Amino acid sequence: MIEARELSKYYGRKKAVDAVSFTVRPGMVTGFLGPNGAGKSTTMRLIVGLDRATSGSVTVNGKPYTAHRAPLREVGVLLDAKAIHTGRSAVNHLLAVGATHGIGRKRVDEVIGLTGLDSVARKRVGGFSLGMGQRLGIAAALLGDPATLVLDEPVNGLDPEGVMWVRSLARQLASEGRTIFLSSHLMSEMALTADHIIVLGRGRVIADAPVADIVALSGGTLVRVRTPHPARLAELLASTELGTQVQVHASSSTIEPDVFQVSGLDAARIGELAASAGIALHELTPVAGSLEQAYMSLTQDEVEYHAGGTAPASEGAFR
Amino acid sequence: MSTTTAQHSVSADGADRLPVLTFGGILRSEWIKLVSLRSTIWCYALIVVVGIGFGVLIALTSPAATAGGVPDAIQGSTAVQVATLALGFTALASVVLGTLVITGEYGTGMIRSTFAAVPTRLPALFGKVVVFGTTTFVVGLVTIFGTALVTAPILPGIGVTPNFTKPAYLLALVGGAGYLALVGVFALALGAIVRHSAGAIASALGVILVLPTVAIILSAITQAEWIQSAASFLPDAAGARMFASTAGEAASSGFLAPWQGFLVLLAWDAALLLVAAVLMKRRDA
Repeated sequence: MIEARELSKYYGRKKAVDAVSFTVRPGMVTGFLGPNGAGKSTTMRLIVGLDRATSGSVTVNGKPYTAHRAPLREVGVLLDAKAIHTGRSAVNHLLAVGATHGIGRKRVDEVIGLTGLDSVARKRVGGFSLGMGQRLGIAAALLGDPATLVLDEPVNGLDPEGVMWVRSLARQLASEGRTIFLSSHLMSEMALTADHIIVLGRGRVIADAPVADIVALSGGTLVRVRTPHPARLAELLASTELGTQVQVHASSSTIEPDVFQVSGLDAARIGELAASAGIALHELTPVAGSLEQAYMSLTQDEVEYHAGGTAPASEGAFR
Repeated sequence: MSTTTAQHSVSADGADRLPVLTFGGILRSEWIKLVSLRSTIWCYALIVVVGIGFGVLIALTSPAATAGGVPDAIQGSTAVQVATLALGFTALASVVLGTLVITGEYGTGMIRSTFAAVPTRLPALFGKVVVFGTTTFVVGLVTIFGTALVTAPILPGIGVTPNFTKPAYLLALVGGAGYLALVGVFALALGAIVRHSAGAIASALGVILVLPTVAIILSAITQAEWIQSAASFLPDAAGARMFASTAGEAASSGFLAPWQGFLVLLAWDAALLLVAAVLMKRRDA
């Protein structure tokens, strides 16, 4: 259980985390989403006391992380794969971290086996790939057999097999009653892994709800439309009686510029409108609302760093 | 994770006792960290090899042999001198290693793993000081007594009969090892303040090598005696009194006694560690 209350962190005058309150509950996987610079990593560092909060508080299992007698048993943390001395072997790194809590060789060998590092355990970490560094970071997080896991971008740099492994590990640990809190940029990954999602934008919580509710937030069902006259159709749909609720999302594909998605209208109504205006439709398919879509519509006003200035271009509404 | 059916089903070390953070554990952790890096092995090997090698070289080539023998009064101090002469160089290895013990963690990001395991932070800093200080002291003892032992059969060739039975001589040899450790801890504390390897090593070497020279030049120019007395309280000058070969003989006025030199260097270390501790508590990792 992680509880943040009015948690704030300023770097100079910049508000990295701005009066954030949330609860991460045991027995489920909680996803932590947000664009780059939204404050996810800072929040995670605040949880384990690596950064000092400017104001507010955050507790783990009822106490500040620093007040626990066996911190590694309370929280296992992966902040980034590079929090490891490059001159040391993986096994020595784990032995050194574990030794602080009297965790010995047996458990170190266990987590090495669990994370599939057996073949490189005696090699120096400096030569590790991003994926292997990530596995070593997860191994270190598991050392204390912690009741809570805080993983910042755990699938970053992992191959598909590694991604699946992290997913099943997170699910399994949550089913054992542990608190799992993980951040990711891969929204589709979150849909498969998380039960609950907290979305952060510019240092503030902009959504905190079960996955299903977040998807519903996006406006529910989408309809994929293919037409040779996308601009005319968009204009037409926007001028209907439901115009204010209708959103037309441009295609993210440059290969299929004539495809876009519409939310707020069902397929039958779109077909009728197009027919009455004489616009030919090549495709009209209802598709389930995706978490990706929900996330984009939630964060499109909160993105800190726009790509070029046209962002959030790919999925943005052009009304 | 075959046995993790409940939150505390796995006792990490296989015993029934649950893992708990202890200072003993932190010391073990710091020991594993220290000896599992190549830079440590290289620095300590350098200290031993250069220390003993230099002593042997001096013993073999000292001009005392041609000067018609060494006066009885300074026989013992000459033997001490031979055993501790290399400290001027080996101290630099201790300074570099002491700095890297902490800045290596900041540079690689390891410090975040360290502070995640020891969130109150200061036990980790003191653990480093204890482990690095003790290890360096022991390496210093091995080097200095090793040098004394190896040069013992050579010294009579230049008219010196080594005799360390006088407590002051023995203390000077032990003091040499203490100096090596304390100078390294000085650099470690500076490293904890500066947090960058290059900057910390440069400032440590500046204090140890450059400041004394500046003091000499200044006092030569200004003829001000107080600069000279102040310079004797600099970390290195004070620390070097710990193995002063004139110990036991009439300590000439104006110099600190060995125990005074020890206390001055200790005070430097303590002051710097205090600053490092306050900053470490306050700063983001």
